[in-house]
Parts: sequence; structure tokens; C-alpha cells
Amino acid sequence: MGKPHSIVLQNVNKEYRRDEFVIPVLSDLDLVVDEGEYLALMGPSGSGKTTLLNLIAGLDRATSGAVIVHGQDLGTMSEGQVTRWRADNVGFIFQLYNLIPVLTAFENVELPLLLTHLSKKHRRENVMTALRAVGLDGREDHYPRQLSGGQEQRVAIARAVVTDPYLLVADEPTGDLDRKSAEEILSLLQQLNTEFGKTIVMVTHDPQAAQRASRILHLDKGKLVRDEQQISFPVGVAS
Amino acid sequence: MIPLKYNVRNLRVRWVNTLLTVIGTGAIVWSSCILFGLVEGLQHSLNVSGDPLDLIVMRKGSTSETNSGIELTKAEKIPTLSGVMRDDKGRPLAALELLNIPIVERLDGSRANLIVRGVDPVSSELRPNFQIVKDGGRMFEPGKGECIVSKNLTKRFKGAALGSELKVGEREKYRVVGVFSSGGSAAESEVWVDRKDLEQNIAREGITSSVQVRAASQADFESLRKTIENDTQFKLAAIPEVQYFAEQSKSSIFLKVAGTVIAILLTIGAMFAAANTMYAAVRSRTREIGTLRALGFSRTDVLMSFMGESVLLCSLGGIAGLLATLPLSAITYGTSNFNTFAEITIQFRFGPIVMLVAFLMTVAMGVFGGLFPAMRAVRMDVVTALREV
Ligand SMILES: Nc1ncnc2c1ncn2[C@@H]1O[C@H](COP(=O)(O)OP(=O)(O)OP(=O)(O)O)[C@@H](O)[C@H]1O
Ligand SMILES: [Mg+2]
Repeated sequence: MGKPHSIVLQNVNKEYRRDEFVIPVLSDLDLVVDEGEYLALMGPSGSGKTTLLNLIAGLDRATSGAVIVHGQDLGTMSEGQVTRWRADNVGFIFQLYNLIPVLTAFENVELPLLLTHLSKKHRRENVMTALRAVGLDGREDHYPRQLSGGQEQRVAIARAVVTDPYLLVADEPTGDLDRKSAEEILSLLQQLNTEFGKTIVMVTHDPQAAQRASRILHLDKGKLVRDEQQISFPVGVAS
Repeated sequence: MIPLKYNVRNLRVRWVNTLLTVIGTGAIVWSSCILFGLVEGLQHSLNVSGDPLDLIVMRKGSTSETNSGIELTKAEKIPTLSGVMRDDKGRPLAALELLNIPIVERLDGSRANLIVRGVDPVSSELRPNFQIVKDGGRMFEPGKGECIVSKNLTKRFKGAALGSELKVGEREKYRVVGVFSSGGSAAESEVWVDRKDLEQNIAREGITSSVQVRAASQADFESLRKTIENDTQFKLAAIPEVQYFAEQSKSSIFLKVAGTVIAILLTIGAMFAAANTMYAAVRSRTREIGTLRALGFSRTDVLMSFMGESVLLCSLGGIAGLLATLPLSAITYGTSNFNTFAEITIQFRFGPIVMLVAFLMTVAMGVFGGLFPAMRAVRMDVVTALREV
């Protein structure tokens, strides 16, 4: 294909140690994700999906093996460097939205921009653009508790994309939403992938959600058991 | 940097916790400020009491006016010495003064030593800003058994109010005809009567306790001092008033040390209160902390944010405690002078020391109270924090 590799995992192992016990979570994982791919991670509970996502997003470190994202070998970076790298390259979307309750929608979306050198005026422009992109302009002064779950998740998506990151990671982004809100969120993610070319890795339990992705990876007991390339994937539900 | 409004709003959201902590730390700052405000008041009273041109003449070997006695024949020569300043009426500013320290009943029924000072007409000119207060009657007249009372004492001793009869001993009583103030100086702890009246009442004719002298100039001050001290016939000591009061203020050093120890202990207590609140804050915001770290905020950012919140929290307490001392400026407090054991009155003074104490306590509480909770937030593992529901 010739597309640059976005994510490369080489012989990755991850284990947790608790006292004497070693809990293997991921074993001998090899994976290549191309730029612009929309990857869905599926698998039973405890199979290691969140752990794998955290490794790719630079939140956690592999016990052995290499995790290379956007050309950077995360294992060789210091903690401070990885933190900085996350701010520049990764947008996070969580199952429980993880908005800061005491900050308004605007302030929540502005948070990652406080780590950049943008002026207040530029920050404002970027925040408003992001909020418009998720269909929440006019809601910028609302606090999370004044928004519905779907709206909260859209604020979270705006926060994830406001810095124009290279990679979006989403851990069960529709896990707490009703069907309709879930569809809206999924359409939004798909749009970010197709229109803005974002590489997306999404963990999901929902087969319908996984259908939106360009590729589905099945994990079981820390191993990749199936890798489905979606030949052509359906366009978002018309609304 | 994590914006400060994040912390401000969290304090507001958890307002019950915040309020309780503010009340706790505020009360501690408040009580320490009172202590130091009183020490400062005592020091101020002793500072303003000493005039650089004034000498206190006492018997050689006396450490305080109370244990000094000078024969009148000697004492009366002092106003005639050259180099003594004169007032606009041409009177030498040298006053013979006789001290009596009877035990007098306080308004609350307890008893305390009270300084009754027999003074000369020029005595008032030798005190800073001496005046009969507004609507405070008049100066006493000699030979009539009258006295004037410092404003601070009127509300502390039985019979010290204007127009009442102040009983200070078996036979000794005075009618209060005036109320005076004197710029916060030591005189504000005293009752003044005519010296001759006092002499008779306490049967100490022919004796005076001290002579207060003001020199006409700095040069006269030195020569006057030498004249008095070197005169073999006099056998008197001429102590610069500034030095005299500095010595008297040694007792305030004890108060300061005691106050500092108490303030430190209280601050440590308040630190635990602040730490407790901040631990609760960190615990309840675990997932938020994980989120902030995931978004790219560093451990330092998190540390600063929680330390800032702790300092902010304690500052609210500090400011509240400091403001709560303001009404106290009107309050006078009585204590014993450690030298004379007489009741002296101290005015609470809101000044730089009080503000410094409040500031230091607040910073200490905020920083040390916030440090361990903030460290907990810093050390949190991002992945674990994010798994928190
Ligand atoms: N800090 C930890 N210490 C020990 N074991 C852990 C730790 N974190 C995760 N695990 C274990 O690793 C395994 C994989 O967890 P992970 O969260 O990645 O699973 P998952 O596929 O995301 O599951 P779910 O669908 O329930 O979210 C689980 O068995 C879990 O108990
Ligand atoms: Mg998971």
C-alpha cells in the first residue's frame, strides 16, 4: 500500500506484578496499523483491550518489546517526554467522558490547549471550532452536569481533537450511552477518520460499533485471535 | 499549568469541607494573632514611654521605681540643676513622683496590684500625648483627695469610673474627677494623684520614689546624667528612660517566646486539618487527576495545582482569622508586669507583626498541610487512576 505505519508493535509483552504473582496480560503481540486506519479492538472482558490501548497511547509501558507510534519508540522516552508526546499526539476519549465537573464545556475543551503556546485568542478560536465540529456551539458555558451523556461525550471528543492530534484513542466511547447517542458519537468518530484522516483505535464491546471501523481486531487472553479487514465499511447512519 | 479556577471552583463545590477548614484554620490564626497583637501592644507601650531626652532618677542600686526611695531634700535639688528643659511657663521639666502599689478590687471581684502615682504638675508634660479624654472630667486639684484614672483602667477596677470613689487602701480613697490617656504609654496603666496627697495618705513624708527629668538638649542630657550620677552626696542613678523601659520590656520577650511556641503548635494542628481536607480532595478526584495526566499535564503541574489549592484554602482561613482580629483593636487586656507585679494594661495592636504571624502561619499550613496530599496525587499511577470509577 505504501502508507506509512502509524502504530507498530513488535513482540510486545505486558505483565502486572502483584507481590509474588506475575499476571500476564498481553503476550507476544505483533501489530502494524497504517496511518488513517480506524481500528476496533474487541474481546471478552479482561482480555487486555484497555491495556493494549494504554500502551499505544503512551499511558503505560510494555514489559518487553517495542511500541512505536508515529515513528517514536515510546519505550526509549523518559516519562516527561512521553507526557509531552501525549499532549502533542494523542486525543483521549473515555467511556465515562472524564470531563472536569467544575469546568464548563469551553474550559474542558480548552484544557489541552493550555499546554501549548497558543494565545488566549487563538485558544478561543480553536475551542469554538472544535465545539462547532461536534455540534455543541451555544453550549460552551454549560457545565458537564447540565449536559446529557451524549453531549458530554461530544465535549470530550472536542477536547480530544482540539489540539489536532495524530491519533485518537477511545475506550468504549459508547459504553455508557443509549443507542441514539451512541450512533451520533460513532458517526462523529467516523467523520473524524474519513474527513480529517485521524488514525483511531477504539475499544468496544458493541459489534455494531465495531462495524463502523475499517478493521476489527479480536483479542483473547492477551493474544490477537482474529484480524478482520473491512472491505468497504458503511457510511454513517443518515440523520 | 492547570488553571487556578479549577481549584477555586473545587473549593466552592465542596463548600462544607472548605468552610469547616476555613473556620478551623481561621480560629487558629485568630488566636495566635491576638497573642502577638497583645505582645506588640505591650512593646509599643514601652517603646512610646521612653523619650530619648528623659532621665529617670532613682536611688543607686534600684532596678525599678517601686524599690527606689530618695529623700526629698536631695530630690528637690534636681529641678534646679542646669540643663533641665523648661516648659512654656518657665517651669523646669523635672517631676518628683511617688509610687504606691496597693491591692485593689477589680470589677470582676478579683484583686490586683494597681499603680497609684503621686505626681507633680509637670508630670503630665513628661508623658507622651497626655490628655484628659473628651468628656472625661478635669485634672485633679491638690489637697482635695482627688485622682485621675487612665481610660484603660476605668473599666477594670471597682470605683475607677468617672465620679466614683476609688478605694485603694484602709484609709486611702480618691474621688475620680478625670479620665486621661497618654498615647499608649506606660502611664495608661496608672492612677494619678497629687504627690503631697499621696505622701500623707501612705505616711511617707520626706520620701519620693523617683524624679523624671527632661534635658534641654542631647548635650544637656549627657551632662545632666553625669552631674547626677557623679555627685557623691546624691548617691543617685540617672537612667535614660529609653533604657529603663527597654529593661522593663524584657518580660515581653518571654511572652513572645511563649507565643511563638504556642503558635507553632497550633499551626501544626491546623496543618493536619488542612491535610485531611486535601487528602479527601485528592481521593475524590482520583480519576480527574488521571485524566489531567493523560491529557499531558505533568506531575509538577499536578503538584502545583494541589499545593496551590491547599495554600488557597489556608489563605481563606488566614484572611478570615486576621479580619476577625480587627474589632479587637478596641479591647484592652490586663496582665501583670513581671517587675512590679502591678496590673498593666495592654492594647491589642493590629500591626506588621500580627500580619506577619498570620502570613507565616497561613503559608506553613498551606504548604505543609498540602504537601503530602499533593504528593499522593503526584505519585498516582495514571492507568490506575483512570480505572477509578
Ligand atoms: N494494575 C493492574 N494490576 C494487576 N492486574 C491488572 C492491572 N490492570 C489490569 N490488570 C489485569 O489485566 C487484565 C486485562 O485488563 P484490561 O483492563 O486490559 O482488560 P479489558 O479487556 O479492557 O477488560 P474490560 O472489557 O473489562 O474493560 C485483567 O485481568 C486485569 O485484571
Ligand atoms: Mg477495558
